Amino acid sequence: MEPPPPPAPQSPASQSPPISQLPRLEILTPTQLSTGNCFGPLQKCINSGPDVSFFLGSKAYKDIMTWITQLNHSLVPRSSVDTARPVSFPLTPNRKDWSEPVRKLRELLQKAEGLMGDAPPEENKNRRFGNGSCRVWHRLLQERVGGWLGELGEGWGERVKEELKGYFLGSWGDKGRLDYGTGHELSFLAFLGGLWKLGYFGEREGQEGQEAEREIVLGVVEPYLEVARKLITTYTLEPAGSHGVWGLDDHSFVPYIFGSAQFTRPISSTRLEPTPVEGSCPGAPKPASVTSKQTVEDYRKTNMYFGAIGFIYDVKKGPFWEHSPMLFDISGIKDGWGKINKGMVKMYRAEVLGKFPVVQHFGFGGLWRWEQDPELAREAGGQSVHVQSQPQSSGTGQGGVTGGTKAPWAMGGVTGGMGGPSGGQVSMPRPTDGGVVAPTGFPRGSGVPVPRGGTPNTGPLEQTSFPRGGGGMHDKVGGNQFSVTKAPWAKD
Amino acid sequence: MSDLDRAIAQLRACRPIPENEVRELCHKARELLIEEGNVVTVNAPVTICGDIHGQFHDLMELFRVGGDVPDTNYLFMGDFVDRGFYSLESFLLLLCLKVRYPDRMTLIRGNHESRQITTVYGFYDECLRKYGSANVWRYCCDVFDYLALGAIVLGASNTLSQPSGAGMAPAGEDVEIEVCNADQQIISRFLRKGDIGGSQTGGSQSGASGSPERGGGEGGSPNGAGQQPTTNGFSEGGSGPPAPTNTGPPGSGASGASGGSVGNPAGAVLCVHGGLSPLIDNVDKIRLLDRKQEVPHEGAMCDLLWSDPDEIDGWGLSPRGAGFLFGADIVKVFNHRNDLSLIARAHQLVMEGFKEMFDASIVTVWSAPNYCYRCGNVAALLELSEDDSGLGVLARSNGDVNRSDGGMGGQGPRGVLMENDLLGYNRAGPARRYRVFQAAPQDSRGMPAKKPVADYFL
Repeated sequence: MEPPPPPAPQSPASQSPPISQLPRLEILTPTQLSTGNCFGPLQKCINSGPDVSFFLGSKAYKDIMTWITQLNHSLVPRSSVDTARPVSFPLTPNRKDWSEPVRKLRELLQKAEGLMGDAPPEENKNRRFGNGSCRVWHRLLQERVGGWLGELGEGWGERVKEELKGYFLGSWGDKGRLDYGTGHELSFLAFLGGLWKLGYFGEREGQEGQEAEREIVLGVVEPYLEVARKLITTYTLEPAGSHGVWGLDDHSFVPYIFGSAQFTRPISSTRLEPTPVEGSCPGAPKPASVTSKQTVEDYRKTNMYFGAIGFIYDVKKGPFWEHSPMLFDISGIKDGWGKINKGMVKMYRAEVLGKFPVVQHFGFGGLWRWEQDPELAREAGGQSVHVQSQPQSSGTGQGGVTGGTKAPWAMGGVTGGMGGPSGGQVSMPRPTDGGVVAPTGFPRGSGVPVPRGGTPNTGPLEQTSFPRGGGGMHDKVGGNQFSVTKAPWAKD
Repeated sequence: MSDLDRAIAQLRACRPIPENEVRELCHKARELLIEEGNVVTVNAPVTICGDIHGQFHDLMELFRVGGDVPDTNYLFMGDFVDRGFYSLESFLLLLCLKVRYPDRMTLIRGNHESRQITTVYGFYDECLRKYGSANVWRYCCDVFDYLALGAIVLGASNTLSQPSGAGMAPAGEDVEIEVCNADQQIISRFLRKGDIGGSQTGGSQSGASGSPERGGGEGGSPNGAGQQPTTNGFSEGGSGPPAPTNTGPPGSGASGASGGSVGNPAGAVLCVHGGLSPLIDNVDKIRLLDRKQEVPHEGAMCDLLWSDPDEIDGWGLSPRGAGFLFGADIVKVFNHRNDLSLIARAHQLVMEGFKEMFDASIVTVWSAPNYCYRCGNVAALLELSEDDSGLGVLARSNGDVNRSDGGMGGQGPRGVLMENDLLGYNRAGPARRYRVFQAAPQDSRGMPAKKPVADYFL
């Protein structure tokens, strides 16, 4: 393996300066909660490339990043004053003593998983790829989730519950296209973050130990990912929106963030330190060991990064370096898991949150607000990498898809620059000359002959309807016309 | 050994050729492709292949199963690149073969042969990674613009050529579909409708009641129940003479419209990557497009590369955001109007490697086994054999602009064909031999080389 390119200059990492406080997601006050109107069914606000730019300066975006870095930080090992060995935070599959809120969420996930038993995959030789029974599972979930969420907390207004329900239902892929991707994963994080804002996990403002956050990741996020993986394999969700070997992963992103945090260099347990940007925890396996199936087996039950890679080994055949070259390249990083963790967070901002095809389906409301954040607006002078990478008029999509690739421009006439993958993809410099020909077309719908047989019926409005042409999504084709044709991890 | 042959040898070994050679190759290919029409005419015999997506070793397996170039005449329906690790080697090899054996290799454009799509789905990144600059990507994209949009296969026979495997039973004249594995063994055979007299297939019986079977889309297809397979039983099935007048129950599958007579040529086969367009009601309209451009976001050219058949009536919006969905009625009217017996297309993953739909009026062929290293699907290629009766060329005129009505004038004015007319209509389908194959074995896949990681990790 070749050494990675010379590392960029960095701050002295072995001794990060203390920080005064950790950014944490604010818990909503009763007053904020009672200003009722802003809550309700989730609103789709991202309809074009420029909307993504607004999103990247919004309160919702700021809160999402706060939430992720907050969870991320909680997993960093702590040096201990009592023992020479640092305390790390592995997955604990057999743990029983979860806090009450976490225990209830785990039950919720188990119930969702249990529905798969009521929707066994159909034996239909005639199907093309994805299994239509996944739609039965989605229907069952939709029918029951209201009651289940009601059991989680009391005193939340109906409109607040409506939002939580939207994020929860959005966490399991698209039932029309039979796909699953990082957009759905994001929806689940938003669900959890919403619960946090509602004080569901307690009023933890003063707590420094971050035990609550840790429990959320280890006790809820990981089991969620396991249910999602089971969905993917049970219903053979198709890889159509995937970037193939040129993306990080076909479906997932956050386990690579949180898993690398679990292995990063320990920080002080007594004073606040920022998340390390290099170094590894003593005893952590080397990043290069992801290519060893045995090492992956050894760690997949305790580490989320290895858990995700273990799933890749489960479903993919062939040499690791060939089917997952991006993860293979990352495994050559010499500066430890801290470096990988830092890179993953950066990459998540750019390749998931900064990509139109992924975030276009994200819904906004009172929990995650579609409002400009003054602080981000001030910083906006220096454009962040993801703003720059934002397509202005031709989407680059990663799209969801049916049985195949989704047209990058499929959404609201965004046109595109960087490729945004489903599973997260590296941005490369885009060609500057002779490059992408700017499309001259209008959004579909105008100027196209009216399809014979009249207008396709319009199905029920769905959060995940696919966009076509202008802003008015929701022109989902009626019935189950997508049926088996859509691919799974199309991130949407 | 010419430079070209040397390049072919190097690419066959899965080693990229130098940038200057790529430039030269692309230049030559463009000169060749510019002379081709939007719809290339190809004479049977021909072997039709679907998506490759950079699965180089599986492409080698395809050549092993289907025969090498130039011994076999190939038609690839696009999507050579993206997602897979070896898009570059795969596409350049096909291009080299095209330049070296122009008459034995036909390449048509898929929706991935586009600048915009390749910057999203991997080919652009691959070129950067393998050459350190985007030049090669640019050369390739310039070639993409010149690829034909479709092909018409003429002279396909409605009887199969003799199997190449030694000691295999010859295919009778009544065999419409034969499915073989990679080792030349016959997995199953399907007889033309007329030969199954008295068969108990549910599909046929329900079809006899007069309602077309639309739901399954499996009529006459080995993917479905519309026809009685004669698995390992061709000796019995092949014994009886065809029933000359039996065209099968309406809508129930490939009929024996040919009467089974020897040398009766089948109708032409249109090959296109995606499917039909509401803007294209006859093949000639494809010929009139200006194709030498990036794939547009809409319009006829876009639709041909993006559309999918689906179990709907008429046209529907495609969830892909480009192209349309189209139903059985659309295909049947189109085939009738254009005197086609079959549309072959790719574009959608199919577990079984191929899938016939709409009473075998359209077939999806998929040639990337275990797609993305994980889908567990087999791949297929479709062989159409040559009609040697000498009747073929005269019988068809759809290869040319201003062709005649295709001899179907008796069924009503063009364009206002009633559905009832279609129920009993089935242009003699060509005999089809599908060869299905698995992913190439794991060995000899080269050595890993770690490359610099993405900027995020610096």
